[in-house]
Amino acid sequence: MSIGDRKTPWHLRTIVHLVLLCGGAFFVLPLVWMVATSLKPLDQTLQRPESLRSVLLATGYTATIDGNDCDVTREREIALEPNDVLYIVRPKPTADGSVPFLAGELTLTFGPDLWRKIPSFTEAELAQMNAPVTAAVKVLADKANPYDPAAGVLHLASGRSVPASIVREVRRPADGAPLWLVRQWIPADTDTKGVSSPFVKVDRAWGILRADELRTGPKIIPQNYPVALRRVHFARSLANTLLVCLMCVGGTIVSSVIVAYGFAFLEFPGRNTLFGLTLATIMVPFVVTMIPVYLMWRSVGWVGTFKPLWVGTWLGSAFFIFLLRQFFLGLPKDLLDAARIDGCSELEILWNVVVPLSKPVIAMVALFTFLGAWKDFMGPLIYLSHPKQFTLSLSLQSFASQHGGTPWHLLMAASTVFSLPLIVLFFFAMKTFMRSVATTGIKG
Amino acid sequence: MIGSGRFRRYATGYAFILPWILGLTFLVAGPFLAAGYFSLCEYPPLKDPMYIGGANYAELLGDPSFHRALGVTMLYAAAAIPLGVILAMTLAMLLNARIRGQSFYRVIFYLPHLVPTVVVAILWMWIFNAKAGLLNFVIGRLFAAGDWWTGLFFDVAALKVGKFVIHGGACWLLAAPALAAATWGPLARRLWPRENSRLRQLVCLAAIMAIVLAALPLLSAAAHTLRPEDVRKFRSPGWLTDGDPMPAGVGFAPSWALWSLIIMSMWSVGQMAVIYLAKLQDVPVELYEAAEIDGASWWRKTVSVTIPMISPVILFNVVMAIIGAFQVFAEPYIMTGGGPEDKTRFVAMFVYEQAFRYHRLGYASAVAAVLFVIIIALTLVAFRVSKKHVHYSGR
Repeated sequence: MSIGDRKTPWHLRTIVHLVLLCGGAFFVLPLVWMVATSLKPLDQTLQRPESLRSVLLATGYTATIDGNDCDVTREREIALEPNDVLYIVRPKPTADGSVPFLAGELTLTFGPDLWRKIPSFTEAELAQMNAPVTAAVKVLADKANPYDPAAGVLHLASGRSVPASIVREVRRPADGAPLWLVRQWIPADTDTKGVSSPFVKVDRAWGILRADELRTGPKIIPQNYPVALRRVHFARSLANTLLVCLMCVGGTIVSSVIVAYGFAFLEFPGRNTLFGLTLATIMVPFVVTMIPVYLMWRSVGWVGTFKPLWVGTWLGSAFFIFLLRQFFLGLPKDLLDAARIDGCSELEILWNVVVPLSKPVIAMVALFTFLGAWKDFMGPLIYLSHPKQFTLSLSLQSFASQHGGTPWHLLMAASTVFSLPLIVLFFFAMKTFMRSVATTGIKG
Repeated sequence: MIGSGRFRRYATGYAFILPWILGLTFLVAGPFLAAGYFSLCEYPPLKDPMYIGGANYAELLGDPSFHRALGVTMLYAAAAIPLGVILAMTLAMLLNARIRGQSFYRVIFYLPHLVPTVVVAILWMWIFNAKAGLLNFVIGRLFAAGDWWTGLFFDVAALKVGKFVIHGGACWLLAAPALAAATWGPLARRLWPRENSRLRQLVCLAAIMAIVLAALPLLSAAAHTLRPEDVRKFRSPGWLTDGDPMPAGVGFAPSWALWSLIIMSMWSVGQMAVIYLAKLQDVPVELYEAAEIDGASWWRKTVSVTIPMISPVILFNVVMAIIGAFQVFAEPYIMTGGGPEDKTRFVAMFVYEQAFRYHRLGYASAVAAVLFVIIIALTLVAFRVSKKHVHYSGR
């Protein structure tokens, strides 16, 4: 990896590529993980991925049981015993909207955890959530207790008996009907053909998983996006963010260009002192001036409005003034003198000569102001209080903090949408971005 | 007449910079002075400030939570800034090795910079999630599972054949002489008279692959020397919720939670690498050519040409990073809320909380003032230290 050489030995180049790819993975993988998570169902974001494939892509399980197509959810976390994996089967509604009843002989095996996870629900919710469960429960509930604890068997509607053990007896919250949550044990030698269980216990020793019933395939849930966008009030937040961004961009460009022109081409006493002072203020951290500035806006009565977020930008920004002035000083002086001899006023020179020549650097300033305003979090946090005014940053943060950070799939979907405009902008204006990096050598 | 012309010119000048004079007065200098004054005041909400002298500063001296915040910030700066500079410089120098796909890597390194702060925070909260996060998945794959390396590497390679190759530690035996034959000057010149013979390239490639593969059994062996009960006891850190110090047993070491934030800050280092790269490419080639004529090695050229030539940029970025470290706010605020046990409560967050949660504006201003003094002091130190080392070329 000889530096600055025109020719790098071939084998070293390979090593450099390997190292750079590893480095690149560190920068890209989080973004990939963000998008991947945003397309997963909730249940597969709550558990540790099992393989690299399941990091990137959720696995969907489907099954056909007794001719009914079913959605299957894999529940590793609510198994009753270690090494249990539960598959929860929910038949898909048929064309006429009814939920197909599985077989008459249904047993429930779910762990206490599931009940804890759904602490309260209405009948309607229950029906919507997993209709077959209610149906299944009804079968048991309508009969006399089908469970014979002495024999440890469950008498099924068909008249057959299956080994089973009761997990617990509960009452359905909605109507108080007794439900028996029953765990069914089926020995490996049992003929499982006729037994359809909505919760198949998968255990190598028992060998119940029937390959012809369970199918796996990739599962992508784009429906997360509309849900997530609704939850962060996307349209409203986007409008707020754009409003602030546009005002900031406009203000910074107009004021900084004018001020930089003044510093670059006009003469007045104290110019250099003022410019030095301007440079020094780049060093003043936001935290130091935050409180008095807040108090000032409060005394004007602007706290709780967007104004504190953008009004300041119409008064110029030290760093951009510096940047523009440096650029202006590099412009050919003759042009300006010629315009002055032609009798142009300073504003006309600025508008007709300097601005057209400085389009790239002005674009850069606009881009970085936009980037800064779009990403800003602390400003909106301090000045905005009403959810109707929240910018995207604030909406996303409040959505995350409200829910204790659990609906990761929705959070990642909203995050993806929130970052996308900047990334798209970057690919359209890559040249401007990269040039700015090269010329300023400073943070954006 | 001349006088009025000059007056007119001056007036035009002042008119042009008028917005900035207002901005400077009302948004920077004024508030700056006001903050200094407020720091000497008791300032209850909705009342006027009352002058109380240095009482706020006296309180600061004895406030353990402020000391903790300062300590956390210092630890963060001490770890994140050097690591960031080293990482960025390494990436930039690798990129500068005139390889193909430079712009591709540049885009990749730059991408994280485009992600909004809030998204960065939430995304990394999810990555650091102790149970289902990406990081603990990778770590679990590396250390905790039984036959750990088959897991990760065969996911990647999906090559069960590789197991056979990898198990043969013979890779080392093959790779070492091959690489020596291909690269070690005296030997290579004898073996491959032609500079870029295809055979030599193939040998190189084979040697590199062999070394990469051979590294795996070494790692594996290292893992297997752990007793099984150690492996079972292995617990991946809880990251953001984990207040244990790392390295364990050292009192002032950063906690895992703070390390999480440090690791996260490395994610935005790519953009700095792009900046360094731009500056590296400005280094005149003649300097390297001259060094080569003098017989300088790669290391010599790096130390004596590259680093001096871009030292002003490094200095500038270090100073900005110091200022930045003392303003870290959004990440801990969103990700940890300062916890566990104040281990990620940064000074900026402390100021925010004192001002807007506890409404102690005077006290918060005093903290901000101290913060400012520290920043200036550290900046001056950075300039002083670098005075000997930073090279400003002609300009």
